[in-house]
Amino acid sequence: MARDDTSIRRRTYLKGAGATGTLAITGLAGCTLGGGGDDGGDSGDGGGDSGGDSGGDSGGDSGGDTTPLTIAGTVPETGSFSSLGEDLRRGYELGVARMNDELDRDVELILRDDESDAQTLREQLQAIVSNNDVNMIWGSFSSLLVTAGSAFAENQGLPFLGIAFAYEAPHRNDNYEWTFSPFPKSRDVARSTLGTLELIEEEERPTNVGIWEPNSGWGEEQADYWEDTLSEAGYDVVMREVFELGSSDFSTLISQAQSNEVEVLLSNPSPPGGITAVNQMRDSNWAPKMLKFVRGADPSAWWSALGEDGAYALMCPGWVPGLTGNGNAALREAFFAEYDIEAEYMPANVGGSYNLTQVAQQAVEAAGSVDPTAVRDALRSTEFETVIGSFTFEENGLPTEGELTAPTGQWWEGAQRLAFPDTDSERAIDFQYPIPPWSER
Amino acid sequence: MVATDLLTQSVINGLLLGGIYALAALGLSLVFGIMDIVNLAHGHMLMVGAYIAILVFAATGITPLVGMLLAMVLMFGLGVLLQKVLLKHVVDEGIEQPIIVLFGLALILQNLGRVLLGGDSRTADIGLPGSGIDIGIAYMSFPRTVTFVVSVLLIVLTWAFLQYTKTGQAIRATAQNRTAAKYMGINTDQIYVITLGIGTALAGAAGALLSMLFPIDPYVGWSYLLKTFAVVVLGGVGSVLGTLVGGLVLGVSENLGALYLGGGYRNIVSLLIFLGVLLVKPEGLFGSSGGGE
Repeated sequence: MARDDTSIRRRTYLKGAGATGTLAITGLAGCTLGGGGDDGGDSGDGGGDSGGDSGGDSGGDSGGDTTPLTIAGTVPETGSFSSLGEDLRRGYELGVARMNDELDRDVELILRDDESDAQTLREQLQAIVSNNDVNMIWGSFSSLLVTAGSAFAENQGLPFLGIAFAYEAPHRNDNYEWTFSPFPKSRDVARSTLGTLELIEEEERPTNVGIWEPNSGWGEEQADYWEDTLSEAGYDVVMREVFELGSSDFSTLISQAQSNEVEVLLSNPSPPGGITAVNQMRDSNWAPKMLKFVRGADPSAWWSALGEDGAYALMCPGWVPGLTGNGNAALREAFFAEYDIEAEYMPANVGGSYNLTQVAQQAVEAAGSVDPTAVRDALRSTEFETVIGSFTFEENGLPTEGELTAPTGQWWEGAQRLAFPDTDSERAIDFQYPIPPWSER
Repeated sequence: MVATDLLTQSVINGLLLGGIYALAALGLSLVFGIMDIVNLAHGHMLMVGAYIAILVFAATGITPLVGMLLAMVLMFGLGVLLQKVLLKHVVDEGIEQPIIVLFGLALILQNLGRVLLGGDSRTADIGLPGSGIDIGIAYMSFPRTVTFVVSVLLIVLTWAFLQYTKTGQAIRATAQNRTAAKYMGINTDQIYVITLGIGTALAGAAGALLSMLFPIDPYVGWSYLLKTFAVVVLGGVGSVLGTLVGGLVLGVSENLGALYLGGGYRNIVSLLIFLGVLLVKPEGLFGSSGGGE
């Protein structure tokens, strides 16, 4: 079988001939799960991170069934979401390495580039599934691509996990049976925005909210949640304007925001769109006091493209450095051991995709099998503990309402730092507000 | 009811952007008017010019305005090469053959861009010190103002070249009647080479200027081709003044469309203008005067 694509196998990640690895290769049951530095607190994360860091490692995928787990997946390595592809891949790689260490079976992830295109994604998944005995599918990035992967998985009858997928409507409208999204949803993003605003002293708190709504289903849904949630809380939504997803000219929207005296600007543009919008805000000499670009400000490319101009921007990528417990310390340790990176903080989307791998592992452990139906039933009935929190799924694959808090991160000194909710981690940050005028930056 | 300041700001933003649209369309208009070729690769030539400026900026940190000069030189060479090697075999052979050749060239340029530079969008900073101009009722962004001034300057230089140089007069004569021009001793084959070189260089210049305002990726060619077509149809084929006016009208219309109808309608405006002019005044606002005023 030709494998020109990236195939992540357990042997790739086994380091040396340690006992754990030997047991795993021979397929013997009883791998040490939750062992090593991943037990007993979160000391590696510093800053007084409290609680265990077991990440739900429960000790086994037992029962003697050692059928390999083969996962198909795509990441956007090129195209408009390419800036996220590497981070997603790294989270998956670290997760698969952990799964190979801790599960009683071989785990193989076959990843391909979907070119940020839904049609290409479907073709890539079809090619992988046609040539392999796939048990599970992992999604790409953004509602556009994840829903495409989800539709494919629903058609194939395979469990599907997707992050960077805040769009709720497909869960409710498309009768999902196989799709599960371990990720904060639009409602959670709106609540997190409100929570972030409430961190501001009452006398300094802004009132005028502007929403730039991409002309997509998720754009409308997110704008509705923002408008409803913030209006109920007493904020004035003074502007809500639709723009074309993929647009590169934000000058009219900027003029409208300025004319309406927008203080809090909320949107969910694509990453290139978000970067372009901030560049044009600078050129127009206008900035809001608070800026939240969900997805737009998610990738590391935000800072590499904007530098200090990108500071203060908020994002909701599902995971942000500063979260604690449930495997966060182990993730950090594994990341910096695996990748030769000088940065002090991990990119946010590594955590999001790593969280997905924790869900996959815990579901297979609970099912004791890689049979798609058994894994799906386990996804429906298990309580998951991952780096983004503890949660269960509703029948339609949504995280159960109220169980997940969407962490809001803020770009500060070249890194994404947790601004909301408050944690004790030294990697979290006090919410920086307001954004100063361009002339003072 | 839209506030006056918002309306004024939108009009000024549109005018500033329209200058680049006009420059981008001028090359297409010249080639169309003089060689009778619909250059379907014009948008992709613009994309190549943009990438040249971006790469120069990324490698050296020098303002893309310098990259623009390099782009113009290289793109002029590309145009000359294209005419000498490829198009000379199909020019004056009807409208279909050049269209097919240039459509193929557009696809080649797009895919070369994707393979060599990746599918990611890139942009360049203006790389010059300066700030925008506050004129009280509106704010003129620094990069947009600079790119507008440079665009208009290049358009005026092109017009002056066509108007006052012997080569320019020969180009205009060829546009009016190729056979008569030949009888007058004009080397029309050479004129075609120069015309395509100038048209391609202008596309490269416009691309370099656009790279300072908007992200560029290998797929932007079609979008800008559509806009430049709308400008040419609006202003009239071969008319420098018409192209300038057409560009400004398109820029303002897009901004007002976005303001009154919503951002999703920005690109639809250029299509509507295109169709509207074809229906009402197919020769364009300034007719076809052949190679400039």
